[in-house]
Amino acid sequence: MAENILVVGGGPAGLHSAVTLADIGANVSLVERDSFLGGNPKKFKYKFLFPDMQPADDVIGELIKRAEKNDGVKIYYSSNVSNFKENEKKFDVTIKSPDASETKTFDSVIVATGFEHFDPARDAKYSYQLFDDVIDIKDLERMMGENNFVRPSNGQPPKNVAFILCVGSRDRHVGNQYCSRVCCTVSVKQAIELRERFPDCDAYIFYMDIRTYGFFEDLYWKAMEEHDVQIVKGRIAEITSGPNNTVICKGEDTLLRGPFEIPFDMVVLASGMEGGPQSSEMVDKLGLELNEHGFLKPQNVTLAPFKSNRKGIFLAGACTGPKAISDSIVEGGAAAMDAYIYAVKNK
Amino acid sequence: MEYDENGVSIVPSEFKKEIFEEAKKDFRYEEYVRGCLNCGVCSGGCPPHRFFDFSPRIVLQKMKSKDPELIWAMMDEYVWACFQCFTCAMICPFLNSPGGIIAILREIAVRRGLESAKKVLKPYSRVLLKLTAYGNQLSSDMIQPDFFPDWGPHIGYASADLAIKRKAIPMPTLQVTNLAWDVAPEAMKELYDIFDEAGVFKIIESVDPSLYEIIEDIVDDVRNS
Repeated sequence: MAENILVVGGGPAGLHSAVTLADIGANVSLVERDSFLGGNPKKFKYKFLFPDMQPADDVIGELIKRAEKNDGVKIYYSSNVSNFKENEKKFDVTIKSPDASETKTFDSVIVATGFEHFDPARDAKYSYQLFDDVIDIKDLERMMGENNFVRPSNGQPPKNVAFILCVGSRDRHVGNQYCSRVCCTVSVKQAIELRERFPDCDAYIFYMDIRTYGFFEDLYWKAMEEHDVQIVKGRIAEITSGPNNTVICKGEDTLLRGPFEIPFDMVVLASGMEGGPQSSEMVDKLGLELNEHGFLKPQNVTLAPFKSNRKGIFLAGACTGPKAISDSIVEGGAAAMDAYIYAVKNK
Repeated sequence: MEYDENGVSIVPSEFKKEIFEEAKKDFRYEEYVRGCLNCGVCSGGCPPHRFFDFSPRIVLQKMKSKDPELIWAMMDEYVWACFQCFTCAMICPFLNSPGGIIAILREIAVRRGLESAKKVLKPYSRVLLKLTAYGNQLSSDMIQPDFFPDWGPHIGYASADLAIKRKAIPMPTLQVTNLAWDVAPEAMKELYDIFDEAGVFKIIESVDPSLYEIIEDIVDDVRNS
């Protein structure tokens, strides 16, 4: 009889692990809290993915299609794990759907519950939700995705846009000391996109460090050399309202200008990633552990990065820390291997 | 104090080192000085940075350099440019407190009676006198054109006919112009004890000896009454 494996979360990591497992013959149950698959990239309608600007729909859409088409994957939409019990080396799990409740026994489990975008309203200095023209990284992706990039305050195209990095990351005041890894690259990507589609609109990036790690550095150089994106070193201290319906970014250019106050038509906050309430939910229900940053904790970050503290339960994707979509997909495959080995050995 | 050929005082490097050691020994030092990424958010939010050559980021960086020369260079005028609003401490992602460092350095300057402290505190001698001797801060008769030129063109009007104007205040006042409120002798004596214990009188003696003499006379009078 085929192995029964539970995958919690239908984002990039969960989808890829589910399909991989089904492809090698396992019976996969994929539990997704939303009424659709694809996770945050789908929910917030990401437009293009870095580094090669592939349309997000092509990547995420393909992952979804593979899962939906696969007979080995049973998808539970708008569902959650309501009861979780260890039964010798297996797990008795109740999956609660809107109209039914089903209890099944699984040989192993993959948790791929992902992340939540930091809510920039929690850091008052950015005046998010106070000024219509202050938006964040996911708002911009959605606007680009809907082909509706205009100033929320008046529906006009902006003449200049500021990108502010490290919002909700690397800041003890908001409780997140870690770097969210992808926001620098996403912001640089967005600035390039903006300059390509609206050549009359100036783009500024305010940074404390630009962490376009690895090959993503190419984007950073390209932004300066080919797209004339202004890159200013200095974290923004305050956003206030300015003349002619502008928002003013106030800060110190730590390399060149000293104090500055620049009026912008729009400001985009590069809000980071957080473990979200779903991480704590997994801790409560499955007996997992959180790390000091609020993400799920692997047993050993180098030797057993996909194992949780509990035998038979594996972790993949952004639930263990900020991650690019490509990394999450890789982890989905790797965790699938671990989960399959465990299931086969303990049959 | 030694002087060079231009009449500029030569501060021995040993003394500068001592100042730095004193700052580092302060119980608040560890809390105020942490890591720094030079993000500039402190200076960005700093009101004086907008107008003067003053930057809380530089204050922290100089402190972190552990170079007594750099720290000494701030003791002269630099530390007195800070408003002590602590916006920097409120927004620093590391929870550093450049404003707190300034407070530590200022206290050293005052405790040691450094020239810069004397110069800065001179215009406040009347306030210090009122505060320490009478337990009052500003009284209306202190508002005079000579002392508050920055109050603008109406300072002349504001300082004239004080007694009548004070009577017009629709709240109970003391109907006097030389006190803001009445402090009982018992309260004043307690205040003096606190100033004694906290070393306030000693500090005033070191930065302004003649002011201290005046205060001492008043204190003695009240204590013996």
